[in-house]
Amino acid sequence: MGVVTARDPQASNASSQRAGPRTAAPQSGFAPWKNPSLSPIVRFEGITKRFDDFVAVNDVTLDIYEKEFFALLGPSGCGKSTLLRMLAGFERPTQGKTIVAGQDITDLPPYQRPVNMMFQSYALFPHMTVEGNIGFGLRQEGMPKNLIAERVDEAMGMLELRQFAKRKPNQLSGGQQQRVALARAIAKKPRIVLLDEPLGALDKKLRQQAQFELMRIQETTGTTFIIVTHDQEEAMTVASRIAVMEKGVLVQVATPGDIYENPKTRYIAGFIGDVNVFEGTVSAIGDGCIEISAKDGYQFKTRSSEPVSVGQQVWLALRPEKIRIAHEQPASAVNAIPGKVEDIGYLGSISHYHVRTAPGERITALRANAAHTVERPISWEDGVWLDWPVDAGVVLTG
Amino acid sequence: MSAKANGLGRWYVIAAPYLWLLIFFLIPFFIVFKLSLSDVATAIPPYTPTFSWSEGIGKFISQLDFENYTFIFGDPLYVNAYLSSVKIAAISTVLTLLVAYPMAYGMARAPKSWQPTLMMLVILPFWTSFLIRIYAWIAILKPEGFLTMFLMKLGIISEPLQIMNTTTAVYIGIVYSYLPFMILPLYASLEKINPALLEAAQDLGSRPWRAFWQITFPLSLPGVFAGCLLVFIPAVGEFVIPDLLGGSDTLMIGKTLWNEFFNNRDWPLASAVAVILLLVLTIPIVLFQRQQQIERESGR
Repeated sequence: MGVVTARDPQASNASSQRAGPRTAAPQSGFAPWKNPSLSPIVRFEGITKRFDDFVAVNDVTLDIYEKEFFALLGPSGCGKSTLLRMLAGFERPTQGKTIVAGQDITDLPPYQRPVNMMFQSYALFPHMTVEGNIGFGLRQEGMPKNLIAERVDEAMGMLELRQFAKRKPNQLSGGQQQRVALARAIAKKPRIVLLDEPLGALDKKLRQQAQFELMRIQETTGTTFIIVTHDQEEAMTVASRIAVMEKGVLVQVATPGDIYENPKTRYIAGFIGDVNVFEGTVSAIGDGCIEISAKDGYQFKTRSSEPVSVGQQVWLALRPEKIRIAHEQPASAVNAIPGKVEDIGYLGSISHYHVRTAPGERITALRANAAHTVERPISWEDGVWLDWPVDAGVVLTG
Repeated sequence: MSAKANGLGRWYVIAAPYLWLLIFFLIPFFIVFKLSLSDVATAIPPYTPTFSWSEGIGKFISQLDFENYTFIFGDPLYVNAYLSSVKIAAISTVLTLLVAYPMAYGMARAPKSWQPTLMMLVILPFWTSFLIRIYAWIAILKPEGFLTMFLMKLGIISEPLQIMNTTTAVYIGIVYSYLPFMILPLYASLEKINPALLEAAQDLGSRPWRAFWQITFPLSLPGVFAGCLLVFIPAVGEFVIPDLLGGSDTLMIGKTLWNEFFNNRDWPLASAVAVILLLVLTIPIVLFQRQQQIERESGR
């Protein structure tokens, strides 16, 4: 039992709201992974990569579809970058196959692959101008000069780089360099663009701008983008689907909404957003609902999509924004527990309430500050009640 | 008070190298320059005029002339020696570059833990006297030397090699002696190149060999430039290597200079030869300085 908290408490809230329009309605929206007649543009088949005795990527099988903005998410060292570098051709898998558009490219060198990469360090050629950098890939194909100029100009226009055309990379700011790197990666109009922590070097504000720029470019070009990031907010913002990796293994592949609402494991629940976790055992199974006896004596009733049996150890994960907080005991709540406000994090649009319960747990609840003035605001040391409906929590078995 | 002392301290620091240059370069240069304007004489020292207080500075200066310079430019022997020295130095520089580049590239690409050892191996020859190393080459190159014996044992050649006392031997000697001066600046500039640049080039469709010419080589140019000048400048005036390894047909200005000084005892003419050599070398030195300046300004 405990509260698992991600590094950036603001992020979970923001992303859960923002992820809405792109992913909340998968039935009607863009969801090629649900269409069995489509074949994936990228298929990793049982990919394993060993460095000496260290397994960087462990038996990963994954399909990525055309026009997806796919995120590989995980902490550093989880193997996400290695997987991307294997797709680019810089690393060779120890086992398994990489298939792009139906063709096995496992043994193809990087310069023959239909993918272009944007590097974390940008890797801009310091002795070439912005134009020279963006046109580099096109020159390799022996394209006529006027066509190259046209394509370079198009890419520069898309990223508002025209006025920097004659500059060298060291005469550009970080944000400008980042845009040149992106322009260079899309200039050849590859089928797949790989982005290795593309915004890692930017400050927070610029990063948010750049995320929307990435999405705009991805939508206008209709290219498949695969991004590697350790920033869950970034993944939630840009991606159509996210693959969460941990220690070289794929843990869950789903839309940002699904990952947030139905995380498969406690690790994912904690990695993406804030979450309160209650440990307990299943005490009863009813019609669509199960009852959980929490370790500290509470009885919770909740829906469960996971098949469970009576007596099984489970964890109930509750997002802070799904917990209601009030001064009075709610009249007809299924799950309600009393506690005392210990801390309030006022963030303007929302407030976080850290509530200590009688058995000594700390639970985080979150409330939007919707009203301009509140008659009786919840304050430090107030006795409060926390409650949530049966469908608020997620039952986790691992 | 302390600010003044501080300012004075800074002045000393700035003055030190200039003082050094004045004492060990400028004053000797003026002595040589003055000598080059004198005439040869059978005396001790072997030139006139010598300055004496009784005759005064005016008479002393009136006896100086540019006769030696007109003589040098009129005699094809000297002009040819200059041209031949520049040619031999230029060819040696290119050969050194061709040998050093792959070595420096290999060093820069070697695992980080090996690099100090490899660097040590490059510098190691400096631990032995330069002269001894050149004598060692005589033992290798002479007709009954190690190289001939080795190749004859292998059956590659049947006649002894005639390398010793030829210009080829001079090339071998210069390339061998100046190799570290080429490798070190090359290694320094190659080692700075971000490996991701090559990955990016390949990712954008450039084959490894093209990527080398498009990315690695242009980015190593500052090192190529520095290395070439570090080899070329001393090689033009090289004396020991052509003297020990070269033959009678190897015409180099360093040897001519030595002959003028010690065989002909014509100090004024030899000084004039030295002054012209210095002027010839000023051109690449100025180029080198400008290159360094550009490099510093571009912040690479």
